[in-house]
Amino acid sequence: MTKKLIGLVVFLLAVFIAVPMLIAATGRTDLYYVFTSVALLSIASAGVWLTFFIGRINIGQGAYALMGGYVSAILIMYYGWSFWWTLPVAGIFCAAASILIGFPILRLRGVYFAMVTLILTEVMRLLALALPITNGAKGITSIPPPGPISLFGMTLVPDFATLQNPRIAFYYLSVMLMIACFAVLYRLVHSRIGHICMSLQQNEELASSIGVNIAALRVMAYAISSFFGGLSGAVFIGATQSIYPSSFTVTDSVNFMLNCFLGGLGYVFGPMLGTLVLYLGWNLLFSTGEFQLLIYSTAMIVLMLVLPNGLLSLGSFKRRG
Amino acid sequence: MPGPSITFTWWIRRLMEQVIANGLYLGAQYALIALGLTLIFGLMNVLNFAHGQMYVLGGFITYTVYGQLGLPFAVAVICSGITLAVIGGFMERYLFRTVIRRSHREESTMMLAAATAFFFDAVMLLVFGEKQRGVPKIVKGVFNDFGVILPYDRILVGLIAAILILGFIAFMKYTKTGRAMRALAQDRVAAQLMGVEVDRYTMIGFALGAMLAGLVGGLLVSITGVNSGIGGPISIKAFMMIMIGGAGVVSGAIAGGFILGMMESVGLTVLREYGDVTYLVIFAALMMFLSIRPNGLMGKPWG
Amino acid sequence: MSHILEVKGLTKRFGGLTAVNDVSFGVNEREILSVIGPNGAGKSTLFKLISSFLKPSAGEVTFRGERISNLAPHIAARKGVVRTFQETTIFRNMSVRDNVIVAHQLRARASLLGFFAGSAEARRDEVRFAESADEILSFLGLDAIRSELARNLPHGHLRALGIAIGLATTPTLLLLDEPFAGMNHDETMKAVAMVRKLRERGLTVLLVEHDMSAVMKISDRIVVLNFGEKIAEGTPAEIQNNQRVIEAYLGVEDEAIGL
Ligand SMILES: Nc1ncnc2c1ncn2[C@@H]1O[C@H](COP(=O)(O)OP(=O)(O)OP(=O)(O)O)[C@@H](O)[C@H]1O
Ligand SMILES: [Mg+2]
Repeated sequence: MTKKLIGLVVFLLAVFIAVPMLIAATGRTDLYYVFTSVALLSIASAGVWLTFFIGRINIGQGAYALMGGYVSAILIMYYGWSFWWTLPVAGIFCAAASILIGFPILRLRGVYFAMVTLILTEVMRLLALALPITNGAKGITSIPPPGPISLFGMTLVPDFATLQNPRIAFYYLSVMLMIACFAVLYRLVHSRIGHICMSLQQNEELASSIGVNIAALRVMAYAISSFFGGLSGAVFIGATQSIYPSSFTVTDSVNFMLNCFLGGLGYVFGPMLGTLVLYLGWNLLFSTGEFQLLIYSTAMIVLMLVLPNGLLSLGSFKRRG
Repeated sequence: MPGPSITFTWWIRRLMEQVIANGLYLGAQYALIALGLTLIFGLMNVLNFAHGQMYVLGGFITYTVYGQLGLPFAVAVICSGITLAVIGGFMERYLFRTVIRRSHREESTMMLAAATAFFFDAVMLLVFGEKQRGVPKIVKGVFNDFGVILPYDRILVGLIAAILILGFIAFMKYTKTGRAMRALAQDRVAAQLMGVEVDRYTMIGFALGAMLAGLVGGLLVSITGVNSGIGGPISIKAFMMIMIGGAGVVSGAIAGGFILGMMESVGLTVLREYGDVTYLVIFAALMMFLSIRPNGLMGKPWG
Repeated sequence: MSHILEVKGLTKRFGGLTAVNDVSFGVNEREILSVIGPNGAGKSTLFKLISSFLKPSAGEVTFRGERISNLAPHIAARKGVVRTFQETTIFRNMSVRDNVIVAHQLRARASLLGFFAGSAEARRDEVRFAESADEILSFLGLDAIRSELARNLPHGHLRALGIAIGLATTPTLLLLDEPFAGMNHDETMKAVAMVRKLRERGLTVLLVEHDMSAVMKISDRIVVLNFGEKIAEGTPAEIQNNQRVIEAYLGVEDEAIGL
């Protein structure tokens, strides 16, 4: 218990104090964008992880990130909504859509589900290209930054447009959302719901024989997963102020899945670590120019050979050995 | 002078014939790609994300050997096949086997497969660049009869593909290796008990699957050309085919290949103006089909 | 007297194959009724029909006067009809105790949201489940291995764990598919005694089993299936002397020696 508490405190200190201090010291404010991305992508990856947790390989999170992004962009640009309201709405919209899509496709298992979700990503991209409201390949651009939040006349969050460095604001926003999402995930997994999900992962027939409504539970987990995806997509377009059909593609969907694998499927914080390592690794390799993808993929293959159960399995090896 | 209604039916018939001819040609290619993927899947339960990349590599090898070095096309295609077979064998032996042994969850092979797909992409980008590459036509001229217009090289490639498919089926049915692999795909444990050398035949199977991808890549470079970016999309198409037919089943892969070929051929004719909408419709139809028939046309349950 | 379970004209076709063909029988409360028959006779299919894992092609199953065929399996379980699996089906990557604890789902009073938020009701549930799981484990003689990972258990224990999972759902009618398979004589005798104890707990037990000596010892009544059809029904003594049953089993032996 105390160990967990210490871990949490160290983590909070790191993200809220150490990272900003480090960035201030080095003067590389562009790193805020990198860490913002890591936070948002790890929210989406957390959703993928949850579907892994019920025994489904989800390569379709890019579809919901894209959907969430467009919902937010459309509500802001065409209906004049505040950015803040679009966040929960985008999440809920995606969750609702995923319930409709999930009921039929969650009956599929194994690679079938994986492939269908992969195709779902492609469907979403093509839809974004084809629908009038998404403005085709040109996408939706010049989305205004988030406005202020005030409660009883007190300004809780300032208007991002007036900020000297809105990047820092987005960094804090993303990190706080990430913490909230992982807190929900952690609680979910460590409560009885988590145990039931695990029973689903290990044997669906047996789970239904002990009275678990497997269809409902699967859809619930998938909906939460898609909520995370939509939420992260919506915040993303706030940070980049634009969205295109190519903003989230099959590659992103695959990456979300890889983040989970790399971090470790048996660990709630696996997707966070996996995203950090993969995204940072990819960006650090930027200086290697044309060799970036080669080094990146080689490193990934080697990692899989050395640690096929994810980075976090290192700890459990030590404990066992 | 024929009345307008006659002209119309005549036109429709011609169109249909053209569409069917195109569909068959496409279907033969696709079926061959799907066969390789489904073989690997059936044997090891691995969804080979790098399958499209293997196809592209096969294309580049034929491009080099035939297009650049000027050796005969047949030699080039065989080179593609052999190279990919060797690469496939190595991948199974040194990558997949290790990860399958050591991982707690079999999905881990997906990450490995995705990483190898990235790796292939990277290598091909470095070696061959990102330009679209083509080769001289293998035969000139166009077949134009019975209302069908089809270049001879397409017919030739389609025929070769069809022969390869038949050869593959015969191989799986009548050779010892083929039978051993079928036993493996059916029930790994039982096959092992019956004395099938599981490791050896898994490796052969992977090599064979990779070889098929390489052969198709080599064949098709003479028609559509090749560029280093199409591996991913090809993989997705191959996934669709084996889902339609049922993953891990040879007949399913063939059926899936021809069905997708037909759908594309029809879709691209009927929905020509709408561009990508063809794929949107195909994808949506596929998702609906799968939610009704989760194992595809002939898949084993939860294959 | 009226039956707790009534099977009427139950039929299941898989394509051209009729796995269960117009089978009818009744089960009395607190009875141990065995279903026997050669391999492929349709016994497991019959169990899957009764526990709603399969939908019948014709006929129906009523439990306490209520029709339960065509329900979802988890609803049938909620009504008290629970099956164990012919294969050793357990949650492999959980400890023995967790297997049994998670199987208490039907007894939960708190909602999922309650469990998420850790409400008082949910905490009470957790305590009850743990206590009940320990009770079941000691009842089945599994307490010594309660913290083992399920996938590491030997075969005999796996069967017992399968039954423990079934018991955790507090069934009224428990369907055991070949519970003694793969057990040696001593283990079987222990398991027979255990099934008797289940009945003392007030359960009605339906059993598929190939071990004839165990079946004869344990059953109040026996139903015999052959090629999907019921060919006999009666007490163990009646079944042992039934000509059609003897023929059915002899027929199988003939096949086995190649006649
Ligand atoms: N899902 C299914 N699809 C098609 N056929 C099936 C299916 N399940 C069972 N069968 C067939 O139905 C028949 C009866 O099978 P069942 O498993 O009920 O037999 P059983 O009496 O339990 O045999 P055993 O003693 O070997 O367990 C068999 O011929 C089997 O092949
Ligand atoms: Mg059976």
